[in-house]
Amino acid sequence: MDTEYIVEMKGICKSFGGVQALRNVDLELRRGEIMGMVGDNGAGKSTLMKILSGAYLADEGEIYIDGVKAHIQNPHDAFNLGIGMIYQDLALFNNLDVARNIFIGRELVRGPFKLLMDKKNMYKRAEEVIRDLRVDIKSPKMNVARMSGGQRQMVACARAIAFESKVLIMDEPTAALGVTEANKLLGLIRNLKDMGLSILLITQRIPDILSIADRVFVLKGGQRQDILEVSKVSLDDVVTMIVKGKDHNGNQTPEVDYKSFG
Amino acid sequence: MDLNQPRLRVKEKMSKINFSGLKKFTVMFVLLFLMALFSFASPYFLTWRNLTNIIIQNTYFIIVAIGLSFVMMGGGIDLSVGYQMSLVGVVTAMAMMVYHLPVWLAVLIGILLGTTLGLINGLIVTSIKIFPLIATLATATVYQGISYMISKANTFRGYPEEFLVLTKGKVLGIPLDVLITLFVIILVGFVFSESVFGFRLIALGGNEEASRLSGINTRKIKISIYTICGFFTAVATMVMISKSNTTNSSFGPGTEFIALTAAIVGGVSFMGGEGNIPSLVAGVFLLAILGNGMQLAGWGTYAQFIVRGTILLGAVAFDEYQRSQKSKIRTKY
Repeated sequence: MDTEYIVEMKGICKSFGGVQALRNVDLELRRGEIMGMVGDNGAGKSTLMKILSGAYLADEGEIYIDGVKAHIQNPHDAFNLGIGMIYQDLALFNNLDVARNIFIGRELVRGPFKLLMDKKNMYKRAEEVIRDLRVDIKSPKMNVARMSGGQRQMVACARAIAFESKVLIMDEPTAALGVTEANKLLGLIRNLKDMGLSILLITQRIPDILSIADRVFVLKGGQRQDILEVSKVSLDDVVTMIVKGKDHNGNQTPEVDYKSFG
Repeated sequence: MDLNQPRLRVKEKMSKINFSGLKKFTVMFVLLFLMALFSFASPYFLTWRNLTNIIIQNTYFIIVAIGLSFVMMGGGIDLSVGYQMSLVGVVTAMAMMVYHLPVWLAVLIGILLGTTLGLINGLIVTSIKIFPLIATLATATVYQGISYMISKANTFRGYPEEFLVLTKGKVLGIPLDVLITLFVIILVGFVFSESVFGFRLIALGGNEEASRLSGINTRKIKISIYTICGFFTAVATMVMISKSNTTNSSFGPGTEFIALTAAIVGGVSFMGGEGNIPSLVAGVFLLAILGNGMQLAGWGTYAQFIVRGTILLGAVAFDEYQRSQKSKIRTKY
């Protein structure tokens, strides 16, 4: 179905014990856009994205992919719907090489009952993905334990998009990177957008979002505050929204102005 | 002149050595070294008869260690294998000797029982979510208790000839249990290196949470590996009781220590995610040759326990050292 939004999340609620992490959250992601996800620590950004990626189950709410209601029960369901997620800790396997990290859970198979791995094609396909991403990884046979933070981030990226993903979720991808590697990664995110992917980018680095995102989704205390058009807001507007949120009428409370530093 | 310069250079060179590559062959080198050492210490050690004896006497240890390697590579541990052998052994023996069931049926009952005991371990570890070390320590005690209750501490001996064929029978001059062991080695080696199951199992041992996030049903794999371990433990039990032509409830306990030591010495990581079958087999032979060689050289039987314990400690320390090296490399970046 050809709708404006590739992902729609409606009325999402999630509690952990007595803590309400998400309250009736709606999110709409347009096709081919980069949407920044911002909010204070504990605002619910990662929880919302983990629900979309199948790592958590929502207590209430509905998810639509391409306008069709989706039942995401586990990460495998999300993969099948074309949703890939790069977790903050990258969730890589240090005991495996690049190709195996990319194909884990979605191995290319051969033989009777598809019980055996098609290693030859896995390494070939891994090489193609690395080449398409134009990243600094010399061979799919490299062990990830011996890679730099930036290279590991690229492997996680390759894994998330290797299977014709439509939506890519990135949780704090630049948090552990130096300036050079972070800039390389932002370049890569732009490339991914050019390749047609819709991207949800969680980050605390708001300038990064303002430089590459189309819209910003602001969460506070588990509630959606607003979705802002990046071209129409400043860094201070976003920071103010993160800290103050909106009042009961949906207006931003005016009495305090928050200024960013640096 | 900086006097520390040569030391620093050596340190730099040391840090470039690929220890994971080295580890694969370490056990082979140590095995060859021990063989050379004992061949000087005793003229009987390097004889055809002694070497074939070592192989024949250790077939069931290899099968148990291979079963245990499934659990260990998946990041778990099973301390109950020796006690599973005790229970499976007496049940199989009683089926043949007390209830006079046909040999094939007794063996089938024994194998099914072993597989079920492994399945119970898997279900406990995944359902109650307690440390596998504690869970299998508890089931080990339960299995041993049941074994003594069923056998009433009796010893069973003099099995039917059809059952003894398992170890006395030969094909092309090779004992049947050696052939079974070879078949298990090749089959499991193939499963680990070529199958999707083997790949996912190694991934699970490497990072359980990442496996779950990759869409792998980690619970299913965990239950499977304990069940497979139980199956191979039961196969090993058949070989063990056929070889000795007798059994009681004390047959089996202690095997878990040898299998565990052999697996770790053979490069199966205590933390999971690493290991290979050829090195594991070499690990079993290393312990066997150590025992055999020390006896022939007249260095005392009891000293073997001290040496085995020290080897286990050394192998775990080496494994831990390797892990710390890997994490140091990551922090460096």
